[in-house]
Amino acid sequence: MQQIPRHYIYLLLAGVVVWQLLAPMPLPISPSTATRGLYEAIRAVPEGKLIIISTDWDASTQAETWPQTEAVIHACFQARKRFVIMNMQPPMGVKLANDIALEVGKQYRARYGVDWANWGYKYGYGNVLMAMAKDIAKTIGDDFYGRPVTRLPLMQGVRSIRDIGLVVEVTGLAGVTEYWIGLIQGPYQVPFAAAYTAVMAPGYYPYLDSGQMKGMLVGAKGAAEMEALVRSPGKATTIMNVQSWAHLLIIALIVVGNLGYLLARGRREERRQ
Amino acid sequence: MREALQSLFLLRQAPNPTALAICLGLALAASVLLLYALHRLLGPRGRRWLIALVTFVGGLFFGLEWFYPARGHPSKNFLTDWIEPVSNMLTVVGAFTVGLGIYSLSQVHGRNVRLRRPGWHNSLAFFIAMVAMFVFGLWEHYLHLREPLPKLVPWPKGIYEILFSGLFAPLQAATFSLLAFYIASAAYRAFRIRTAEAGLMMAAAFVVMLGQVPVGAWLTSAIPAASGWSFFRLEKLGEWVLAWLNTPAQRAITFGVAIGALAMSLRVWLSLERGTFFSEQS
Amino acid sequence: MNPEVAILWAGAIATLGVYTILYRENPISRLFEHIFVGLSAGYLLFTTWTQNLEGKWWGPMVHQRQWYWAFAPVVGLLFYFIYSRRLVWLARLVMGLFFGVAAGTTFRQFFPLYSPQIYKSFKPLLPQAGLVWADVILHHWIFIVILLTVMSYFFFSIPHEGRFGRGLGRSSLLGRWFLMIAFGAMFGNTVMARISLFIGRVQFLLKDWIGHYLSWFAQRAGG
Repeated sequence: MQQIPRHYIYLLLAGVVVWQLLAPMPLPISPSTATRGLYEAIRAVPEGKLIIISTDWDASTQAETWPQTEAVIHACFQARKRFVIMNMQPPMGVKLANDIALEVGKQYRARYGVDWANWGYKYGYGNVLMAMAKDIAKTIGDDFYGRPVTRLPLMQGVRSIRDIGLVVEVTGLAGVTEYWIGLIQGPYQVPFAAAYTAVMAPGYYPYLDSGQMKGMLVGAKGAAEMEALVRSPGKATTIMNVQSWAHLLIIALIVVGNLGYLLARGRREERRQ
Repeated sequence: MREALQSLFLLRQAPNPTALAICLGLALAASVLLLYALHRLLGPRGRRWLIALVTFVGGLFFGLEWFYPARGHPSKNFLTDWIEPVSNMLTVVGAFTVGLGIYSLSQVHGRNVRLRRPGWHNSLAFFIAMVAMFVFGLWEHYLHLREPLPKLVPWPKGIYEILFSGLFAPLQAATFSLLAFYIASAAYRAFRIRTAEAGLMMAAAFVVMLGQVPVGAWLTSAIPAASGWSFFRLEKLGEWVLAWLNTPAQRAITFGVAIGALAMSLRVWLSLERGTFFSEQS
Repeated sequence: MNPEVAILWAGAIATLGVYTILYRENPISRLFEHIFVGLSAGYLLFTTWTQNLEGKWWGPMVHQRQWYWAFAPVVGLLFYFIYSRRLVWLARLVMGLFFGVAAGTTFRQFFPLYSPQIYKSFKPLLPQAGLVWADVILHHWIFIVILLTVMSYFFFSIPHEGRFGRGLGRSSLLGRWFLMIAFGAMFGNTVMARISLFIGRVQFLLKDWIGHYLSWFAQRAGG
């Protein structure tokens, strides 16, 4: 029982996933407190203030972060809150998020530059944030399309971080949140929320507990919960239905492996006696 | 086509190209002279002191601006107005490091191609991919296309989208999705409950794994949601483990990391660190 | 041109090409790995120019006549002296600057980042308005015990000898048990994350690629 060849395990996993995608058994998803926190934080942004969606992710985590970004953008459009996308690392995220915003924006007849904008990839982590806190236009320079951000209608009256109503960080990178909280949320009391991949989320629960984070999406589960709240089931909802069976498979494999280990240990002790 | 090529090769005309050329030339010449003088005049000890001084000033600026008393409304001190220009300058300077990794990669793969080592065609594919993405990325950018785009797009934009959405993103997503197989295999082969601690870890893992997915909620759906026993519903139990067992442990780890990071930052700021980078002999 | 179909086929071939490594190491997966690295390098190069340098350096220097930006490439190019044995100290000069800046940023963000964490660790240990005994014991007492015992696990400089040391040793052992729970939770989440990545890829293959031709797959694979 301990010697199942690894290719059989791969086939088993692939088989379970394909089976569930083609013959899904959907189960209800109920939003958690952390997800509701993010949803309410978006709706609570004061009139006239912008939301920054910092999409610090790339295709390596897109199964989780793509639906998270999509659900957050849906929530922003539904609540009629203007938002901007930006990215500090890796640079791929800003184009992927741009494609998402363009696609979702069609449903709400959103106009680029008026209802949303893309500030682009801005290298520099802490330096970018410290500069942005004082003067956003000079720090950002050109938007994703190479046009000066000062020419965008939604940037009228937006000068510094005090004109930002919420920062939502969608990321698969550890370490970036600490810059946002340490340099923006803490000193300027700008509300902050985040969407993380499931791997890194446990490490950020302390920020939720301390109130430094208003809400948090945890992996595809958080994205599915957000999709339920914005009433737009998408990729994440499908993923969660499949996930259930994949988890059961992993648990079964661990149990089988340990049963095999116990049996082998019992046989070894018998032989010794 | 000519406009696209001009844009591609950045032949846009500056308003005052002569003044620009003079300024760039002067800046370059002054910098080269200064660096040459420093290189000739400073010995190893002097250079170490200069590096330590630059490190100290770099840290002092940002630290001092934060801790120095601020006055007025909005409150600021004598350094606050310099934060934005200095930070922007550092961002731009840092952006020039992009070539470091590219140069290293090009060296390694260039050698493979030049010496026709086994697998040199892979290195050639690397160069073709890099150049293609760079050229078509820039070309697409300087086409200045406006949204919404029609179904039929200019061919450079089409090639760029094939490279990005057809190759780059799927390759990265597929490479990292291999981890699913490896974690399944590793969970089967390596996760052995040899001690009580490992058993505790496994129990927590099972609760969280089932609590995070809809099937966990379904398995314990017989427990009424409004009753006192609802704590034992898997989704609630999973959330409790994450919020009340995992959180304090993570916070304790965070405190340790924070103190360590502060101590390390202090050592780096005061140039007390020794090691491959920090020593002159390397 | 309409690149939609080409994108689908390129994505599918790339995905399946990478997955060939699951059988064993082979030339196809190695080729795709190199293509991936090349695309990544090219993308980084042009986005650094178009998203950062063009708007924040070239534009202000050339069009707004802020001539002091002429010094930025001089300082930035000092990094490249790392390849010279004689002049490597120039690279260390600018790296030292960035190390110092990073240290200064750490000092700046330390209190805003961690002081709320410390403050919120002092949870009420007795029932009060809105809190009953069950809440307090199940949540707050457990929270404090876990926090203190796990912190004590990291006190490596105090030997576990003598009365205080032995007490610390027992506390540290308890802390290790609680750490195991936290690691178990992390493992559970890690499994969820990794599986999600694979499900995402299969969704693309079934719904977007095959589903483009056979609508049954597109409907079933959903999303």
